[in-house]
Amino acid sequence: MKAFSMTLPANVAEAAGQLPKAPGDRSSALLAGGQDLLTEMKEHLVEPDKLVNLKSAKDEGLRDVAWQADGSLVIGALATIEDVENEARIASEMTLLSEAAASVASPQIRAVGTVGGNLNQRPRCWYYRSEHAPCLKKGGTECYSYYGKNRYNAILGGGPSYIVHPSDLAPALVALGAEITLVSPEGSRTMRLEDYYTLPDSGDVLSETVAAQNEVLTQVRIPALPSGASSTYLKFKERRSYDWALASVALVLWRDGETIQDARIVLGGVAPKPWRTVNAENKLKGRAMDGDAITLARESALEGAQPLSENGFKVPLTKGLITRAFQKLA
Amino acid sequence: MSAESKSNGAAPAAWKARGDMTVLNTDLRRLDGPIKVTGRAVYPHDRRIPGMVYARLVLVPVPRTTITKVDVTAAKAMAGVVYAEATKEAGDETKLLGDDSCVAVVAAESPELARDAARAVLVEYEELLPPMVTREQSRDADAPEISRRGNVEGEQSEGSAEDAAAAFGGAPFQVRATYEVPTQHHVCLETHGAVIDAREDGVTVYPSTQMVSMSQGIYAGMLKRPADEVRIVCEVMGGGFGSKFGPGLEGLTASRLASAIGRPVHLMLDRAQEFQMAGNRSAAYAELSAGADAEGNLVALQGEVDRMGGMGGGSFPNLPYIYRVGTSHFTSRSVHFATDANRAMRAPGHPQAAFCMESLVDELAAKGGFDPLEFRKRNLESPVYHRQLDRVAREIGWHEHPFRMGPAKVDDGVMEGIGFGIAQWYSGGRAGAEAELRIHPDGSVVSSCGVQDLGTGARTYVAAIPAEEFGLRLDQVTARIGDSDLPPGVPSGGSATTGAVTPAIKTAAHQAREGLEAKVVDAIGGEVGGFVWKDGTVHRADEPDRSMDWKAVCALLGTEPLVARGAFDPALVTDDTGLHGAQAARVSVDTLTGEIRVLKMVQMQDVGIPLNRAALRSQMNGGMIQALSYALFEERVIDPDLGLMLTNNLEDYKIAGAQEMPEMVAIIDDEDTRPGTTGMAEASVIGGHCAIANAVYNACGARIRSLPITPDKVLAALGRV
Repeated sequence: MKAFSMTLPANVAEAAGQLPKAPGDRSSALLAGGQDLLTEMKEHLVEPDKLVNLKSAKDEGLRDVAWQADGSLVIGALATIEDVENEARIASEMTLLSEAAASVASPQIRAVGTVGGNLNQRPRCWYYRSEHAPCLKKGGTECYSYYGKNRYNAILGGGPSYIVHPSDLAPALVALGAEITLVSPEGSRTMRLEDYYTLPDSGDVLSETVAAQNEVLTQVRIPALPSGASSTYLKFKERRSYDWALASVALVLWRDGETIQDARIVLGGVAPKPWRTVNAENKLKGRAMDGDAITLARESALEGAQPLSENGFKVPLTKGLITRAFQKLA
Repeated sequence: MSAESKSNGAAPAAWKARGDMTVLNTDLRRLDGPIKVTGRAVYPHDRRIPGMVYARLVLVPVPRTTITKVDVTAAKAMAGVVYAEATKEAGDETKLLGDDSCVAVVAAESPELARDAARAVLVEYEELLPPMVTREQSRDADAPEISRRGNVEGEQSEGSAEDAAAAFGGAPFQVRATYEVPTQHHVCLETHGAVIDAREDGVTVYPSTQMVSMSQGIYAGMLKRPADEVRIVCEVMGGGFGSKFGPGLEGLTASRLASAIGRPVHLMLDRAQEFQMAGNRSAAYAELSAGADAEGNLVALQGEVDRMGGMGGGSFPNLPYIYRVGTSHFTSRSVHFATDANRAMRAPGHPQAAFCMESLVDELAAKGGFDPLEFRKRNLESPVYHRQLDRVAREIGWHEHPFRMGPAKVDDGVMEGIGFGIAQWYSGGRAGAEAELRIHPDGSVVSSCGVQDLGTGARTYVAAIPAEEFGLRLDQVTARIGDSDLPPGVPSGGSATTGAVTPAIKTAAHQAREGLEAKVVDAIGGEVGGFVWKDGTVHRADEPDRSMDWKAVCALLGTEPLVARGAFDPALVTDDTGLHGAQAARVSVDTLTGEIRVLKMVQMQDVGIPLNRAALRSQMNGGMIQALSYALFEERVIDPDLGLMLTNNLEDYKIAGAQEMPEMVAIIDDEDTRPGTTGMAEASVIGGHCAIANAVYNACGARIRSLPITPDKVLAALGRV
């Protein structure tokens, strides 16, 4: 690992002030749980001179999982994945978020990995993670997965890079309509998490989000779920003990009796960002929850899928997973 | 103890009847369990010696290159770096992803500095394309020759093609299929390497090795020191599985640096280096056909196999494997890749051959409409397999299984299936090991043999055998192992360690007992061979009231310990009738997603005299786990264009973890009454993946002919892709 210095900012504002301003300047990096950043540094994928350790920040709420009076939930960026996994009310009211948290990596990683870090983690693509492959995501000119070993890569939204976004919390939070707060020396802004992520052809290919270099994600706010909602997060892992998603489905259903009033279906592990399937959601509105509805949902959700040479199986696999998610909530 | 054996110390050593044993043939906790689980065990990797430096190899990450520059100037100039040397220079070629990838070596005051120094070595090269890492690249007519023997060579053949072809005429049921198994890593938890402490008065080498005693001469040669100045110590080590016999480039380099630097040297590979140069289980590509007659007898088999062991020959025994086939013709050949040579790996060649043979047999049973269990038994001669298959079938719930002939109809649900596999390996022992038993006048007992314990439990039986001999508890005997200063052990290969070492320990214990009995005769009368040793006392067989306790017996020795030395005795090991094992697996398959869960595995094996029943079950459990991992996860992936190993870490090279563990039932075949010991560990890894693959078919009709069985293959076989 390249030698680096570390600063211990007293609060978020100070942390943001110590991060580089210029786009693409990666001389400093924000450290939280370190579960992704340190791996990247050990593999020499990033070599910052300075780490700004957010864990020294004392801002109120930065580590909390806090229910608000209006039934909404605010999660600080430094809350651990384990904190989310173990929160009883999340498990009963926002089941999919609890399930998504529990599906992440290993107990050891969940104990130190943070919510902010999980949402901002970098891709797992074999070529991105190989120092010796100067791929598009690392400033090179080629996405090796396009012609290469691409069984784990994108089937939706790919090109010119075919990474998949690795976060499990993100699809669940997008399905819940979560908003995030970003703080920079210029001030703070709030946006839907759904709008935070970018596709490779519509943003900076070196990044997966719209965040500026000196913006710090400080909290996630999840609006209260109306009663009548049920949810689940199903994640297909080749190896259950520890793996990223081959595909995942975040499903929220609002029902009145047997009728689906509204639905959110967000896919993970299949696209460079959490993949919201608005078309499928719309087609479900007002339909009875039956086999036809499930078929309609899964076929619409995968519309436009363009598999690469080795990942065609992810299409039926994801459809199968959507079916299983609906069956679980039936 | 029979009254007939009253000779003057000349009775041959013999094992007690299984039912009379009080230490052996019971569940023993392994002696080194506590230090291992509490982290107190000092593995070679953990060895720290004052003044020690950390060495590191510098490897190029692709198979075939022409080196244009190796410059160690910057590395040498770094603070804390004590050594930097280019081992290749401009114009040299690297010919494979492996040992030959090494272009420099550095050493520094800390592991971190050594890493930094390795990165500071300036290495430039031109890649030679194609990388030559796939069967297609190697077999291409225009392929560059990567082995002096040719890219395709080492053909071996058995049987007559004409006879086999003719035999298919009598086979109404025929299957023709292609099977593939991937390159698998050993994944020793402790990587390869050694710590070497070279001093004027002698050298101590701490290698992670499965060959302690014989390493002495090898390291002496590399260190250019007389063998009696070199001591090899490896009391605990983190797994070998066949990959840790010789010192390798890492041991050779550590030896060289220890002399050159004049300080203790620590040189262990990291995981990526381990996967690049520490060997593998060879891959295979098999085109097979087989035929059965109307009664379900295997009458014909024809097979062509490419053995793919990188620069090695690859392992694959001739087919048919275990099953009796009327007429067969089999050919295999090496297809070389520009990668490290395959090494022995737990039952070399057998897991590959078993997967192909068991799949073929299963397919043929399905084709002919035969019950897969009965079809197997019909084509197996040994009654041992019959009883073992019947037992594992009962244990897995075969007879209650509604779909023994495969699923009636594949639906969109989660379906369950059962499959079988069998295994064979060599039994018995061999000469080469010696052991010493030392009984002190104060009653302490030390049993010594230079043999290593790879995690198998060897250390425990080194103590348990004398404990059984003298009616002592296991904790009353100290085991000393893993040291070339001790009587020689044997390399741990071919499951021969137990068959080689236990006779030596037994004969040492036997002689010591006769020596002690000669003293006891002076005290309480009786005759040598006429005593019963039990519960810490000895009494005369003819007059049970005449007895002494252990302390009193040892006090008879006066001031000198009693020392006995034992060697191999063929009468103490099983004959060469072999090891047999049967496996069954129950799996579920989600037919919509292709997800496979292994629900239960059952394994039964014959083991000769069960020395430590807990350790035997542990070996079987380990075999099942390793086979499950081979079945579902493990595969080395090298990019065919870039030549980069994409799975060079334990995140991307997947091995089974805690949540993949099924219910496991390990059954010792107690109907094996052979009156001798034998090793058994390798047989236990041969059948599990076969059973899983066949269970997947039985569950949902998806016949997966290549490992690992991943969801893409299941979904394709189900026609969903």
